[in-house]
Amino acid sequence: MENFRSAPIEKKFFTPIVLLLIVLAINGMIFLLGRFLFGIGAVTNLDNQYPWGIWIGIDVAAGVALAAGGFTTAALGHIMYKEQYHAIIRPALLTAMLGYTFVAISVMIDLGRYYYIWHPLIMWNGTSVLFEVGMCVMIYLFVLYIEFLPIVTERFIGRVSFPGFLKKLNRPVDKLLRVLDRTLDKTMFIFIIAGVVLSCLHQSSLGTLMVIAGPKIHPLWQTPILPLLFLLSAISVGLPMVIFESLITSRSFGLKPEINILSNLGNMVGPLLFIYLAFKIGDMVIRKTFVYLTELNSASVLFTLEIMIGIIIPLRMFLSRQVVNSPLGLFTAAFFVIVGVLMNRINYFLVAYTPPYQFQTYFPSFGEISVTVGFIAIEILLFRKMVMIFPIVSLPETGSQKTKYFIRGKSQ
Amino acid sequence: MRSKIFFLLIIMPFFCFAQKIKENHSTQILKCSTCHSCDVPTKENPCIKPCPREKIISIDQLPEEGPNVLTIDKFKKQTDVYEPVIFSHRLHAEMSGMGGGCKMCHHYNPPGRVIGCSDCHELTRKREDVSKPDLKGAYHRQCIDCHRLWSGKVECLNCHQLKNSKTKTDISTIVKKNGKRIHPQIITPAIVKFDTPKAAGKLVTFYHLEHTDLFSIDCSKCHKNESCSKCHAKDLVTLKAGKTLEQKHLICSNCHNTKQACSYCHLNTVKPGFNHKERTGFDIDKYHGKLKCVRCHTTKEKFTGLRGDCSSCHGIWTHENFRHKITGIALDENHSSLECTDCHQEKNYANPTCSNCHEDKSFPKFFPGNFIKKR
Amino acid sequence: MAAQTRRDFFKTSALLGTAISGISNKQIKAQSKNILSENRMGVLVDTTACIGCRKCEWACKTAHNLPTLPVEEYDDRTVFKKMRRPDDKALTVVNEYQNSTKFPINVKVQCMHCDQPACVSACIVGAFTKKENSSVIWDTNKCIGCRYCMVACPFQIPAFEYEEALKPDIKKCDFCFDLTKKGKIPACVEICPVEAITYGRREDLIKAAREKIKNYPTRYVNHIYGEYEVGGTSWMYISSKDFLQLAFPKLGRDPAPGVSEAIQHGIFAYFVPPIALYALLGGVMWLNKNRKKTESETEI
Repeated sequence: MENFRSAPIEKKFFTPIVLLLIVLAINGMIFLLGRFLFGIGAVTNLDNQYPWGIWIGIDVAAGVALAAGGFTTAALGHIMYKEQYHAIIRPALLTAMLGYTFVAISVMIDLGRYYYIWHPLIMWNGTSVLFEVGMCVMIYLFVLYIEFLPIVTERFIGRVSFPGFLKKLNRPVDKLLRVLDRTLDKTMFIFIIAGVVLSCLHQSSLGTLMVIAGPKIHPLWQTPILPLLFLLSAISVGLPMVIFESLITSRSFGLKPEINILSNLGNMVGPLLFIYLAFKIGDMVIRKTFVYLTELNSASVLFTLEIMIGIIIPLRMFLSRQVVNSPLGLFTAAFFVIVGVLMNRINYFLVAYTPPYQFQTYFPSFGEISVTVGFIAIEILLFRKMVMIFPIVSLPETGSQKTKYFIRGKSQ
Repeated sequence: MRSKIFFLLIIMPFFCFAQKIKENHSTQILKCSTCHSCDVPTKENPCIKPCPREKIISIDQLPEEGPNVLTIDKFKKQTDVYEPVIFSHRLHAEMSGMGGGCKMCHHYNPPGRVIGCSDCHELTRKREDVSKPDLKGAYHRQCIDCHRLWSGKVECLNCHQLKNSKTKTDISTIVKKNGKRIHPQIITPAIVKFDTPKAAGKLVTFYHLEHTDLFSIDCSKCHKNESCSKCHAKDLVTLKAGKTLEQKHLICSNCHNTKQACSYCHLNTVKPGFNHKERTGFDIDKYHGKLKCVRCHTTKEKFTGLRGDCSSCHGIWTHENFRHKITGIALDENHSSLECTDCHQEKNYANPTCSNCHEDKSFPKFFPGNFIKKR
Repeated sequence: MAAQTRRDFFKTSALLGTAISGISNKQIKAQSKNILSENRMGVLVDTTACIGCRKCEWACKTAHNLPTLPVEEYDDRTVFKKMRRPDDKALTVVNEYQNSTKFPINVKVQCMHCDQPACVSACIVGAFTKKENSSVIWDTNKCIGCRYCMVACPFQIPAFEYEEALKPDIKKCDFCFDLTKKGKIPACVEICPVEAITYGRREDLIKAAREKIKNYPTRYVNHIYGEYEVGGTSWMYISSKDFLQLAFPKLGRDPAPGVSEAIQHGIFAYFVPPIALYALLGGVMWLNKNRKKTESETEI
């Protein structure tokens, strides 16, 4: 096995694509400013019939699902203690951290009174699914930051150099970082397990979110086992997301893809997808909702597409040795799973939602789409910047600097 | 039918004893179970059934017996938006005479005095018994159905005056004006021609006077439960358009077979009036022309079943019960002793024959007596 | 490597355990059960009596200090041309539905004040409460504007001030709680000229409605909308026409928050499942690590 080590990537930050992303990000921020100045109604197409749009359906629901790589790899690498996967934990962690940060920001901008986002912390309603999701996401975000801290300490221990008059802070900060590093080293397992538990909780509860909408949700999606389906889909999209990112990162920075690890991951996706598919089909059969598939409307078509693109096609692909061993095959298959879960979240939160009194069906406004796209662009940019600052992506070992981070399995 | 008898039974004692009996209804011809749900009602537990409406209505006054004008000012304390409403009671009573009578509004009135709205309907909206509307609701519900039908309007200002309005009319003026208002008498039309959408037979000619005067059909037989809108509806055409074929024919089909014999009424020309001879072959013009149908057709509203011979009504005629000079011929001595059938061999006593006795004489060349002026 | 001792593990686990159980106790206290009094009030709407005068709309706006046209303007019946829904500017509206016979049918729409309200169950900060006298009201100071109540409401009633940038609020009928708690009756009920809306004990109203339907079988369809819908509502309707044709949603008898709360309480039954999962994962992790350690030790 080749020896890999995480290190900051030293490449030029600006590329044509980065510039395009910056344009998109600025565009999004302009509309976001409009939302804060003139209210939600001014920027979005939301109304009293459609209270939730793509900011919740895509930014939050799909965002949480696609950030599932963080907890699946943590479970795989730390709890199952499969050391060969440690190389992919850090990118997955960064994605999760950025993803959840933007989930939180998206929730905040969608809130009418964003400045009251702390209310759930002290005003509790145990029966509310949203309360539970909110609490779990908040705590999990905190856990993710803690999990990320060792990467920061690793980067800066011994390298703290504030400029100018702040110079005298250099020593205390360095000392603080070392104390922090030691403490985290001992307690990290608490946060890792907590992260997995919290993820399981809120990933599933995200599915319970619309159960209370009852008949407003199309029966193809509305089922009491929604939390289970959401958890299963989150677990099965976690690894494809890691594969997808890893391949994109390699391509973008001109690195050699870690195809061995990714193939191994790919082999695990098949069974997970199969379980998800089994529950999805089983639920449909038991509740006899397949009758709705015979009607030709957006719900039935999108449901079929969601299952075909998101589950059946990639399932077949991940079961093929040829596909799993080729970067392109893996990339395509992973992409299908991601699109499938994205579709599922959009379908569940937006397409399946039919209010009793429709005056006009909801379609996101240009402003809403701009903000969503802008956030994704910022996320990608931040990811790019972070992997350039912090030791995240595994590179072939060149030096012999000792890693400090326990999670990396440093005892080797 | 039963309900009518019942109705009469209730009314009769009311007319006889209304003045004498004080609020004691136990002596009335009323079944206890009509009002009470238990066998022995007591003062503490009267177990009164919820307002049975149609079942206990015994009010029948002439419009002029009631008040001319009522001023509805019971809500003075509750609202300061509107002036009291002046209700022309007599006008409305007269109008109701063409429909359901007093009971159209006085829908609950056990024998005794006339009960007003506020006797049952409570003044306060917040109350224990929610089974019937409060007074304000009751008033409005009572008025609005008819008013809405004939004017199509439910706007408050149709009846109410705003208190702080500058253009409002003085209450006493309205009272005075309404006191004089009575509904003009309704003239029964002789003939009504209906233009129907039926392709073959557009015209239906309805001889209203014949039905009422000749056939002696009660007004209420056809005009039942009618409200003001029968005549005053804002839009009679749309009102009729909403009816089904069956509903449109409902009144006629009481007596006529409207399902099959369409062409009996639906014609392309004006249908001639009723002609007994043409319909039945029995010419009534000669002797029976001035009679009302009920003289012979004694069962009410049943006009079939009489044979065309005289004996169905008159029995067997003899010299004692038939004065022949009524026909215009006073029989001479010779003929007056004969049996009727000697000359009249047909059952309807037409075309007398002389050939039984006389070989050389015949009617009407020769008369069996003196020809006198017909009465 | 920094030795992760067994003792450390148990110590921290125990600490966490107590913290969570502490939370869960508070959690249970925070869930106030809906108090459904025997004497809770309701309103019976007789759509056959309603004349569409829209005085209730005026009274409602006046009672809630919302901007309104002068009362005479409400005679304008052209508003019935299109269906309206309650929103942040009008907490109740009257709609008109054409009818083949006699009069069109007017239906007043407002919050139904469910016995088992979905909004109360859903609200993230517990701003909504079901009061003992039936009112479902909300505390605007708690509201964060997440609009989950709007997602949850089976009648699609709560409205949001989308045009408000700084402090948008949720708006819906509050059953005139400020009036009813003083022993008065709701503003719309007070003003209705024909008393098409009757305020009274919910049980009495159901009895009266049944009696009406029994006495006038041709006037009413045999259905009291709201008697059983989503577990019963405080506002109930009787009508001459099938309720689906009057734009009432078709709903079952199960309380709207039922399934959702069952799942929620299943997952969080006294925090046992999450803690169990935590312990299980901890155990797995510990075992795996130990195995790895012994393996590497033996290799050495």
